[in-house]
Amino acid sequence: MQQFDNQEILMKLKSSKQFWDIKKKLKQGLGDQQKIGVNDIQKLAQSCEIEDQLIKLISHILKKSKKRETLKEDQIEFLNTSKIKWTELLFKNLDIVHQKTKNQEEDDTNTDSKLYIYDEKNLLAFLQTFKQQQQSNALYQNVQFQSNKLLNINIPLKSSQSILDKYQYLLLQEELQDDKINKIRKQIENEHLDIELEKIAQTFVPNGERCLLYLKYFEFDHQETVLQQNFAKLQKECLNQLFYDELLEIDGHEISEDTFYFVFQEQILTCLKCFIRDRTIKENIRIQLQNGVKKEHAEFQLPVTGFFPFKNISKYVAPLCYLSTKIHIIYALFKEFFCRYFCFLHAISSENNSILSLCMQIEEIVSTRSPKLFHHLKVIGCDTLKLIIHQLVYCFIGDMDPPHILTIYDQIIGHDSLEILVILCVGFLNKYKPKLLLAKNQENVQQIFSELREDRFQELVQFAYKQ
Amino acid sequence: MLIISIRLQQDYSSNLKFKTSFRNCILEAFKRRLWKETEGDDWDIMWAEKEWIHEVLDHTHLQSNQKINHFRNHYELTRKDLMIKNFKRYKKNLEREGKSEEANNYNFFPLTFHLPSEYPIFFEEFKRQSANSDTKTAWIMKPIGKSQGKGIFIFNKIQQISQWKNTLRYNQDNPQAEAYIVQKYIADPLLIGGKKFDMRIYLLCTSYQPLTLYLYRTGFARFTHHRYDSEDISNTYVHLTNVAIQKTSDNYDEKLGGKWNLQTLKLYLMTKYGQEKVAETFYNIQMLMIRSLQAVQKIIINDKHCFELYGFDILLDAQLKPWLLEVNASPSMTSNTPVDFELKCGLLDDVFTIIDLEKVLTGNEEQIGGFDLICKGNPIKLPINSTFTTYLGAFNNRQQQLKKIAKSTAIRLAQTYSEGQMKAIEVGSKGQKEKEEKDKQMRSSSKGPQAMQNGSNVNNKSNNLTKQNTIMKRNTTNLPALGTMQNKSNVKRQPLQNAGQQQQIQQSQSNSSKKNNPNEDSMLSANQKLQKLTQESKINQFQPYKQQSQYNEVMGMGGGSRNLQKNEE
Repeated sequence: MQQFDNQEILMKLKSSKQFWDIKKKLKQGLGDQQKIGVNDIQKLAQSCEIEDQLIKLISHILKKSKKRETLKEDQIEFLNTSKIKWTELLFKNLDIVHQKTKNQEEDDTNTDSKLYIYDEKNLLAFLQTFKQQQQSNALYQNVQFQSNKLLNINIPLKSSQSILDKYQYLLLQEELQDDKINKIRKQIENEHLDIELEKIAQTFVPNGERCLLYLKYFEFDHQETVLQQNFAKLQKECLNQLFYDELLEIDGHEISEDTFYFVFQEQILTCLKCFIRDRTIKENIRIQLQNGVKKEHAEFQLPVTGFFPFKNISKYVAPLCYLSTKIHIIYALFKEFFCRYFCFLHAISSENNSILSLCMQIEEIVSTRSPKLFHHLKVIGCDTLKLIIHQLVYCFIGDMDPPHILTIYDQIIGHDSLEILVILCVGFLNKYKPKLLLAKNQENVQQIFSELREDRFQELVQFAYKQ
Repeated sequence: MLIISIRLQQDYSSNLKFKTSFRNCILEAFKRRLWKETEGDDWDIMWAEKEWIHEVLDHTHLQSNQKINHFRNHYELTRKDLMIKNFKRYKKNLEREGKSEEANNYNFFPLTFHLPSEYPIFFEEFKRQSANSDTKTAWIMKPIGKSQGKGIFIFNKIQQISQWKNTLRYNQDNPQAEAYIVQKYIADPLLIGGKKFDMRIYLLCTSYQPLTLYLYRTGFARFTHHRYDSEDISNTYVHLTNVAIQKTSDNYDEKLGGKWNLQTLKLYLMTKYGQEKVAETFYNIQMLMIRSLQAVQKIIINDKHCFELYGFDILLDAQLKPWLLEVNASPSMTSNTPVDFELKCGLLDDVFTIIDLEKVLTGNEEQIGGFDLICKGNPIKLPINSTFTTYLGAFNNRQQQLKKIAKSTAIRLAQTYSEGQMKAIEVGSKGQKEKEEKDKQMRSSSKGPQAMQNGSNVNNKSNNLTKQNTIMKRNTTNLPALGTMQNKSNVKRQPLQNAGQQQQIQQSQSNSSKKNNPNEDSMLSANQKLQKLTQESKINQFQPYKQQSQYNEVMGMGGGSRNLQKNEE
């Protein structure tokens, strides 16, 4: 941890509102005592929990000043080499995509609108290859491991029960009365502590206050002009065309077919174009997605973000358009959300939040709690993970109405974790379990999901805990 | 609904005739009701063009049963200049009567002048406005007689208009000079995704004395296809949301038609601004519409033959204050997407139900299909415990609601019938048979079969009823249940629910009275037939999931609708 001198901490303390509240309280408590000794203050502070608050505040300030390092190396060597392979694979894909676009220019009749470097299925397929590799490893050869699971890799995992326990409180959520909602509203306005904001996000964020809460949590609340300037700079850079722009534009078409988001197509595209030109992402992103090896003879390099834009990247921006009319705020929120959370959905890593862990958690829960379904899906050749990988990677965006998606975002912030997605995926499978059990082949399954359906946050949570 | 009516076609066809020159959703909606088209004057309902009203109505004598879709002088409300004139006058009257509070509510239209007649006052105002503000105030010119955005332009320099003045179009001495209104342009509209939009909301007026208004829950928001730019006033694509204008734009996407339905808009606003603010806005919109009609209530010639479906164009500014742009007497019933098509057909179907050519309704129904009664003499206040201040933009449960109405109507008719029977048995008079005949006629000539079929089947489906009710409780935009207050208000509309509880007793009563009477053979068999029909169609009818999804499809709600839309195209 970086070393702070006391002066610095005091400066930061003074800039927070809570500090002054505490001071006021102290003054009131001491009343008009003539001589105030250190002991008096300490006593008083202990007696009315001021001390606790002060400690929290200081630790918060220290935590904030600590910069999160971008995770580059994984503790499991095997995954590090896999990441290099993954990156190479993507470079190959990039070449193919580039070739295709060239061909398209020559031949207008054959326009393939589905051009992308990789999508969620590619990612899953790549993860799947791990199994065989590891089994051929000498260490595991002795163990006769017969598993039905798609992914079976030895990485440290949280117990699935602990995840289920963690979110169980969501089942007991009740409708709130107006006065309580107003109270929460005031709380959001006055609160600056991360922990407290997280608590609010865990329980309930009233519509209309969400944007403020997110901005405060990301510490953007007094920086609107800065955000605006940064965004304007990036927009200027957009004048220089990049090859990736073309891919993003193609990607935007899908979002334009969505009733809820078509209005925002243009804004989403602008955000993404700025995103792939944003140099600050490389240092802010919590985990390195692709190994930054430079291929010298490759025609294209990675974008300055350090990773390739993938299919449906627009989806992550879309729900945020429901929060603000100002594009620089939408952009700032998106950037923060991606760098802090969504990046893990594309990371080859053993981290708790990474796509690998989440997938394995889901398999674990489904195979133990609904073994029949798990087995059935395996038999008909449509593995559990293949079924929900889309929902998992894209955070249910496009499957639920925007307010429900934003509730998921709340939970992500609230627990600083993507584990809520595990719960929702399990709930999703449970919801359609009776139908899925009747399906005889892959087409049946596809049919089930192509039917009209409406999933809701609360509903899926309830299904997740249904036995 | 469609399934039932098709099934009924074999046994039953309506005697009602319609006439219309339209060949869009209007014709389709008529056909779906199995009414017959006629070319002659023996129509029961006519959906006429405005011109026909002006030319023909005054010289025609209408039969007492005939209904027509315009009031004689609807233009007092629907012509841009007259509307403003009437509003101004009504406001002045209110002020004179000392009702300044109500008068102040007439602030939902922008500052407007009639050209050429009010040119001097306008010029003064223009100078004053330009002097007061640093930025140039923009004004919008609209030709009075035209629709679909034709001839509209925006300006901020007086030269732009003097050029126009000098052209042939405007010459005070020239009797053919085209009249315009000029309005202060609302420069800070609410933008969604950087685009301007306005709302089209449907209001049905069935009578001006007493003022009877029904508001349709679903409407839509029309978006411009270009980013809004208050500087660039010459580009009409940026400023005008009319579909007719936007269609010509290069950006126009046929598939989407640049529309959101009101439910989606409400969902967006709710997410962004919170529940209360949005509820207030939508309530203001409803009041705006009532006030608009109150202002012309005494001017419009009331006529029991007439009804009118208005299309209100409403704009929200950045503070979510609603502004009335225009009232259309014949809102477009041409659709550009399947969703749009269903919306309009459903809307028209509900209009036909409300005007009640079959004469089966009591006239006291608070909700009919997607329409809610919002004014009968006085504006209707919702129960205090209701979380809604208006049902505008709420979940449109029209199909379930129609079934409910059909049921209660059937019960009521059955009850009147059995009462008649009881009397007849007691008195045993000769007149009884006549009454019976009459009753029979009334039932068979009405849309009743549809209604009765549901009613007569009450016992069979009491189980399903509860299921259905739970669906009905779902209202408005379905926000996540985490603390949302949405689901609270399912307690409304008491009378109908009570009717639901009583129906079993009543039904058994009416059944037993029928059995007592051997003369009732024909009636009974008809009932049996209907019952049979319902049993058959029950399989189609009572699959809540399927129903729900059909619903979503119509409303364009829920994830699935998107897929479907794709498929249909």
